[in-house]
Amino acid sequence: MATLFRPAERWRNRALILFALVLFFFALVLPFGMAVLWSLVDPSHPWAYPNVLPPVLSFRRWVEIWTTTGLQQALVNSYTVALTVSIATILLALPTAFAFGRMEFRGKAAAQVLTLLPLAMPLFVLAIFYVTILSKLGIYSRFLGIAIGHTVCLLPYAIRLLTVSFSGVRQDLIDAARDLGASRLTVFRHAYLPVLKPGLLAALIIVFILSIEEFAISYIVGAPDFTTVPTILFSYLGYNFIRPSAAAVSLILVVPNVLLMLIAERLLKSAGASGAAGKG
Amino acid sequence: MSSRRTLAPYLLLIPGLAPIIVLMTLVIGMAVSQSVTWTDVSGKVSLSLEAWRVTFESDQFWRAFLYSARIGTLGAILSVAFAYPVALWLRRPFAGSDLVSALIKAPILVHGLVAAFLYVNFVSFQGFLNVALVGLGLAARPIRMQNDPYAIGVVVLQVWKNMPLAFLILSGSVRAISDDVLNAARDLGAGTFGRLRRVVLPLTLRSLQAALIIIFIGAAGDYTFQAVAGPTSLNSMAQFMVRMETDNGLQGVSLAAVVAVMLMGLSLCGSILLAGLMQFLVKRAGR
Amino acid sequence: MVSDAPALRVENASLRYDRFQALNAVSFSARKGELVTLLGPSGCGKTTLLRAIAGFVPLDSGRVEIEGQDMAGIPPERRDTAMCFQSYALFPHLTVADNIGFGLRQKRLSGSAMTARVEEVAAQVRLSAQLERLPAQLSGGQQQRVALARAMAVRPGVMLFDEPLSNLDAKLRDQVRAEIRSLQRAQGFTAVYVTHDQAEALAMSDLVVVMRAGVVEQMGAPEDIYRRPANRFVADFIGTANIMAAKVVAEDRTNGLYKVATPLGEAVVRSDVPPVAPHVYLCWRPEDARIVSHHETGSLQTNIYRLQVRSRTYLGNLVDLEAGRGESDGESWRIQTHGLGHGASAVNPGDTMTIEIAPERFRFLNEAVT
Repeated sequence: MATLFRPAERWRNRALILFALVLFFFALVLPFGMAVLWSLVDPSHPWAYPNVLPPVLSFRRWVEIWTTTGLQQALVNSYTVALTVSIATILLALPTAFAFGRMEFRGKAAAQVLTLLPLAMPLFVLAIFYVTILSKLGIYSRFLGIAIGHTVCLLPYAIRLLTVSFSGVRQDLIDAARDLGASRLTVFRHAYLPVLKPGLLAALIIVFILSIEEFAISYIVGAPDFTTVPTILFSYLGYNFIRPSAAAVSLILVVPNVLLMLIAERLLKSAGASGAAGKG
Repeated sequence: MSSRRTLAPYLLLIPGLAPIIVLMTLVIGMAVSQSVTWTDVSGKVSLSLEAWRVTFESDQFWRAFLYSARIGTLGAILSVAFAYPVALWLRRPFAGSDLVSALIKAPILVHGLVAAFLYVNFVSFQGFLNVALVGLGLAARPIRMQNDPYAIGVVVLQVWKNMPLAFLILSGSVRAISDDVLNAARDLGAGTFGRLRRVVLPLTLRSLQAALIIIFIGAAGDYTFQAVAGPTSLNSMAQFMVRMETDNGLQGVSLAAVVAVMLMGLSLCGSILLAGLMQFLVKRAGR
Repeated sequence: MVSDAPALRVENASLRYDRFQALNAVSFSARKGELVTLLGPSGCGKTTLLRAIAGFVPLDSGRVEIEGQDMAGIPPERRDTAMCFQSYALFPHLTVADNIGFGLRQKRLSGSAMTARVEEVAAQVRLSAQLERLPAQLSGGQQQRVALARAMAVRPGVMLFDEPLSNLDAKLRDQVRAEIRSLQRAQGFTAVYVTHDQAEALAMSDLVVVMRAGVVEQMGAPEDIYRRPANRFVADFIGTANIMAAKVVAEDRTNGLYKVATPLGEAVVRSDVPPVAPHVYLCWRPEDARIVSHHETGSLQTNIYRLQVRSRTYLGNLVDLEAGRGESDGESWRIQTHGLGHGASAVNPGDTMTIEIAPERFRFLNEAVT
């Protein structure tokens, strides 16, 4: 039964929405706008008090960062690590998620809690002693070190997302397919894949983003020569605060991830919708 | 056949669960064992509580410990305190509610370091805030707000970044309360406040606790916000641990290990305390 | 002292959602200790009306009075009503005892008085052994009784039931229905009971209010509603009805006798109220027809019809027949007869049978054929 909002409530809601918009403007739009402005400050015309706006705008800073700093290498490092990590994480998570999503066994709840362990561990503690372990094991490849660290720390997310996907697969569809004499492959294609696909892609994207964003392990394991985008941003924010460079790297870090995340969210919504329809 | 059946789920757990358990066990084991070993000047390694003694006698350590505890507690409580009313407000959809919840969730997509940069940029000498203050005549000259000694910046950043997370966790459980249950409470004489105390709070206790714990662990273990926007005279636990490790040569690992164990202890105890406090308050309010 | 004012009075209640008229000038009242049913198909406005009485939805116009007091502007928490929800709406975090005591605690009853009342009500609904359980640990029937006890505990001026039995299985439904009715009689509380199940309404109510599309179609005691439905909707919605367009060909108003032409044939109708128009709808119930055996036929003159059986459904205690005049197309009528009587068991599809309908069994509806 539809209950309508009373007029007073409607006005209160409108006022609150307006307030939220104003807050959002000051908390996000304005700071980002300033970051964009800072990244466009011309190096030969500094932006300093009392100028309200930068005197000259140019892309020179972007060109300079692109050609003279380690950013290109950092981007290559970040994206190759993230790609490796997302594929490895999904492959490792799939069997476990299948067990959680489609099987009943003793100790299931406890096992699910155990998968969350990395989320309860302060990441810098993990990173520092992970480095000690790596050196004891004789693993000196920074790429490998970071990739393994990310994979383990991001497994909880992948397992969780894929568990939901697996539990959305309809048993009656599987049964019907088998009843009609379908082969294992056909059963997979028709009963599993349609439900799994969006969740799988979403998990892939989310793990990819989280790997690119991860700082503690990349910073501690990678120091000093293996840089990723967040570690290079951190170096600009540290003792030598180079504002225009930090602004540019910030945008490079945020914008692609936001776009990817919007895709992932759309995928998850469609997965949720098909899962819900499956229950009906 | 049947033993294969019963074993199957456990075998499937191995690829996902084993790496997690192995790494976590190794890390915790490494931290604990390193904290009770000591390398003396001659390079001789021995079992000793020396690192604990040195650390516990350090003023700086206790300041870092209390500072991280404070940031964790403030971050967790403030984030939840801001997120809860909003989650209640958006419990039932209305025109524009989707927009508002999308806006609230937006900071999740912004990297912590970027957030820290945006904040520093916002409050710096040439930042918007100072320009606005001076422009409006509220200040004669730009005020120094970067790396403020009270760590207001760090708390602002923690809340900015974690409030959306708290909102996500809370709005799920708030939306799960059925209209009928709230109407029933109303019908039996419970006003707005009565419904909140006796129905809504108890039914959302679990997610309140979850949000507090997750945010506390993250904020107490923070490194980046503190390094970029925090007071320069203080260290957070994570920062102090990294410093111990790099500044102390042979003994560095042992000293860092003590800090690490203490940080894990802080995370655990803080979580239990906050969850317990929340439970106590909610039970109390429900009376 | 019982005041003369009815326990509940609804006057010209109207409510509009955008372009949908949920309630249109609905009026009815319930005397103290009466059980009133709001009956109608889904979307007829009955639940909206119940929620308006509870105060969950504000009316556009009209008024609700509880014990003589106008409820306009009074929020649900300050109205003397208690509702049994269709979903039960039990508080999942509270024990049975705390659920039942919820309203009492809100009234700031002392601890001992509260415990006593909770135990008393729990005993009335046979839940004394489950007081420390949580709702999730109870069966559906038990949850239903907790919902009932929780509402009863506060001794509300008006109890409101929103299809309370719809989540129970058929057998339990009959049992709980009888329980609610006997509790209501014993405790003497006033109740408004919403249902779409006409059998439930007939079995429980002192007064049935039949609604459709936000309008009251008819109001009356169960027997009235069943025996003297006002129009085609009510006749059809409550029980099964054979409705025929009839044309009055002769009338004797002093004796209340009317001769009418119908698709079934010519019929003599005995009615206290004259038809509203020369062309009027006439209704009879499936059980009003009597199957006549062959040796009887000669002695009867009025309202005798020969029909061909088109289908036969065995219902255990009843046999349900569908019969028409001759060929298989054209109008058909439902006839129900006890399985054992008059050789109904011998009647099979394709057979021809003779039925008799007594003149007083016909009923003119207050609805002219247009």
